[in-house]
Amino acid sequence: MSAVLQNLVNQPYKHGFVTEIESDVAPRGLSEDTIRLISAKKNEPGWLLEFRLKAYQQWLKMEEPKWPNVKYPKIDFQAISYYSAPKPKQKLSSMDEVDPELLRTFEKLGVPMHERAALAGVAVDVIFDSVSVATTYKQKLAEVGITFCSISEAVQMHPDLVRQYLGTVVPVGDNYYAALNSAVFTDGTFCFIPKGVKCPMDLSTYFRINTEESGQFERTLIIAEDGASVSYLEGCTAPKFDTNQLHAAVVELIALDNADIKYSTVQNWYAGDENGLGGIYNFVTKRGLAKGINSRISWTQVETGSAITWKYPSCVLQGENSVGEFYSVAVTNNYQQADTGTKMIHIGKNTRSTIVSKGISAGHSNNSYRGLVRIAPTATGARNYSQCDSMLIGDKCSASTFPYIQVRNQGAKVEHEASTSKIGEDQLFYFAQRGIDSEEAVSMIINGFCKDVFQQLPMEFAVEATKLLGFKLEGSVG
Amino acid sequence: MSVSMVTGGSYLESLLQGQPQLPSSPSAWLNQLRADAVDRVGALKVPTTRDEEWRFTDISPLAKLSFQPVRAVSSLQTADVERFYLEEAATRLVFVDGAYAPQLSTQPDEATDSGLIVSNLSTALSAHATAIEPHLGRHAGFRDNVFAALNTAFLQDGALIIAPRNAVAEKPVHLLFVATQREAASHPRCLLIAESGSAITVVEDYVALQEDAYVTNAVTEIALADNAQVNHIRVQRDSTEAFHIANCAVSTGRASRYRSVSVALGARISRYNLNTLLAAEEAECAIDGLALITGRQLADTHTCIDHAKPHGISRQSHKCIVDGAAHAVFNGKILVRPNAQRTDSSQSSRNLLLNAKARVDTKPQLEIFADDVKCAHGATVGQLDNDEVFYLKSRGLSEITARNLLTYAFGAEIIDRISVASLKHRLEQAVLEQTQRN
Repeated sequence: MSAVLQNLVNQPYKHGFVTEIESDVAPRGLSEDTIRLISAKKNEPGWLLEFRLKAYQQWLKMEEPKWPNVKYPKIDFQAISYYSAPKPKQKLSSMDEVDPELLRTFEKLGVPMHERAALAGVAVDVIFDSVSVATTYKQKLAEVGITFCSISEAVQMHPDLVRQYLGTVVPVGDNYYAALNSAVFTDGTFCFIPKGVKCPMDLSTYFRINTEESGQFERTLIIAEDGASVSYLEGCTAPKFDTNQLHAAVVELIALDNADIKYSTVQNWYAGDENGLGGIYNFVTKRGLAKGINSRISWTQVETGSAITWKYPSCVLQGENSVGEFYSVAVTNNYQQADTGTKMIHIGKNTRSTIVSKGISAGHSNNSYRGLVRIAPTATGARNYSQCDSMLIGDKCSASTFPYIQVRNQGAKVEHEASTSKIGEDQLFYFAQRGIDSEEAVSMIINGFCKDVFQQLPMEFAVEATKLLGFKLEGSVG
Repeated sequence: MSVSMVTGGSYLESLLQGQPQLPSSPSAWLNQLRADAVDRVGALKVPTTRDEEWRFTDISPLAKLSFQPVRAVSSLQTADVERFYLEEAATRLVFVDGAYAPQLSTQPDEATDSGLIVSNLSTALSAHATAIEPHLGRHAGFRDNVFAALNTAFLQDGALIIAPRNAVAEKPVHLLFVATQREAASHPRCLLIAESGSAITVVEDYVALQEDAYVTNAVTEIALADNAQVNHIRVQRDSTEAFHIANCAVSTGRASRYRSVSVALGARISRYNLNTLLAAEEAECAIDGLALITGRQLADTHTCIDHAKPHGISRQSHKCIVDGAAHAVFNGKILVRPNAQRTDSSQSSRNLLLNAKARVDTKPQLEIFADDVKCAHGATVGQLDNDEVFYLKSRGLSEITARNLLTYAFGAEIIDRISVASLKHRLEQAVLEQTQRN
């Protein structure tokens, strides 16, 4: 980091007064200077700046991917401000000021009273002290030697660990949005589980986000050393409103020998109104490297929000006997578009993977499953089972399946199944006979359809996800 | 890179050599069709693996050789090709290197076969222009398909079959395409028009007299009117040095039924595009395929079943048996258009790998825009089940016999669906020979 620039940035305003905005928000647009500014602001070591600049150089040479089955207007990357200093959220003084639509959602989801206030951004110190809860949390984890902090903190506190693993699973030039993220990421989560440690509780960003605003370009890095295990929860069932339209996160997981990482996501970002106006573009790169023998990486996702979802949580099964899993429910309604799926790259011997994907489309939405199962010549004895089912509600929506199966080894066994169905009149009639109205019947049928995936979610998440689905699809049947 | 980097344009230009020498047809519309196709060849490029549709099939070896159309009249006699004849087929059209060979063909006796027309296209063109014009070049689009465009540019002759209204052909019609020359490019063309209520079985058969490198670029168009039934059997037994590229387009009328069995045994690189449009209500199709390849062969099958209207039914089963360092590719797309309600579709892609170097890329694909539909697909890739081998061994079969039997049974499921007994028998023998070679 050049000292000149540092001075320039920290210079007081010449005309005698300080405008906070100028120092806190980078000017719109992306250039090397912006990246240097971000890096300087965050007081980053030189190697990280180099990492960012390398990513930026690659990004410049790349083109936006055209292959996903989604349509959206061109994004102006120069109109985005890539850095704003963390600042406290604007607090509302009482629940009366909260958007009634949001309150109705909480009611439907059955979110506990004290959490509702926290989620809506009301100052809740008296009822629910999130900071103190988070602190207790961190202490407990530190006792067993687990590092769980923001990635900026990790860069300062554990630079060697971050340097060793950052960008090893998702290289800087992996794809357009991953390169962009690598160049400009401002925050995210870092988690390190040392050798032999079983994490005593489910880790969740929920407790972290209440103290710091997470960025538009989030970066997550989770490392489980030999024999370690962890379950990580991302997101939350309550709708999340955000002014940033483009979200391009990168998540990297690394599992060493006998390690086990379980990553669960519930995504319910603003999906736009019923006419398809607004909504978040969620372009995410998630990949796990099952590096060691007998390691295991499991992705579970419930995707209900965002105007556009473009996301393929993947597993690179490198270690012998390593296991990859992907369980997904993707719901689209109104004008939402989702192109999601997974990649299972089998490299090591006797690697196994399971894919269970359930897509539900309603309204005018478009829901695609796109998956890749690749068996490398080295992956003798590899085994894959994939199942992807779609359900269509209404005749204006669409569901597509694009499974790529590439087998280069004779000793592998790959199975893929897909089906498409609807909620039949006869099914609803059956429920009606037993005194269950159509709304509840639909909710029950959908939950049955998604059961295989919900079973993989941690308990509280599963209960909320069940209700969330019913709520998302309310009014689309009958 | 080496000489293989011939740019798309000039390579295609070289392929078009000889096209201007084609005699112009008395039908103005056919001349126009050919001219349009020449324009498209000029505008399009030879696909590379960067094109999604050709991602797994690298046809650059094709561009390394210069293939020229053959216009010499064939001197082959019946004795040379007799072994390919089917005893059930009373009518047969034989094409040698793409040119019609009347001395080897047998056309139907119109009195006995309920008015069935089986003829070479150029002879029948003036007499049946009103029947041909609405179909020829109308189903197999060549706007974005350089090979269909090339074929259409060279469209001069071909096989024509018209099954008149309510005609039921008892015996199959055999279309035999024989390749005899090195570095020859042939552009076989077939047109089958099944008028309403007719029923017919057609065998489209590609064979070679010797192991040569040549290119076959075929286009077949099949139009089924209401209630028509077509049984289409396609056998590709080209030389293992040859390139075989084929486009087949099928359009179905109301309550018509199209059945297809295609078997690919030959060619170094083969690519078969089968597009079936269920263009009217209650149309049905059953599409089965088998690729049996070894050595460094590549067999690529792309099918698309387009459910455009309600109440359509489609069934598809595609199997590949891959040995040696061969590479099988399958891409099966099922499209259910908006309002094509009550569609019932199922598809399976099953692949058997017999060698560590063998390779399979399969992509069953569903695109659904209607809600009241039943669609399912499945894909498997694997080797022979050890339990099954053990079961047979426990009954006294040797390991090799057990494996051969299981491999044979895997392929026989598709061959069993061929309705022409002598052809079925011959293909069964071919599968058996191939499995026993190991």
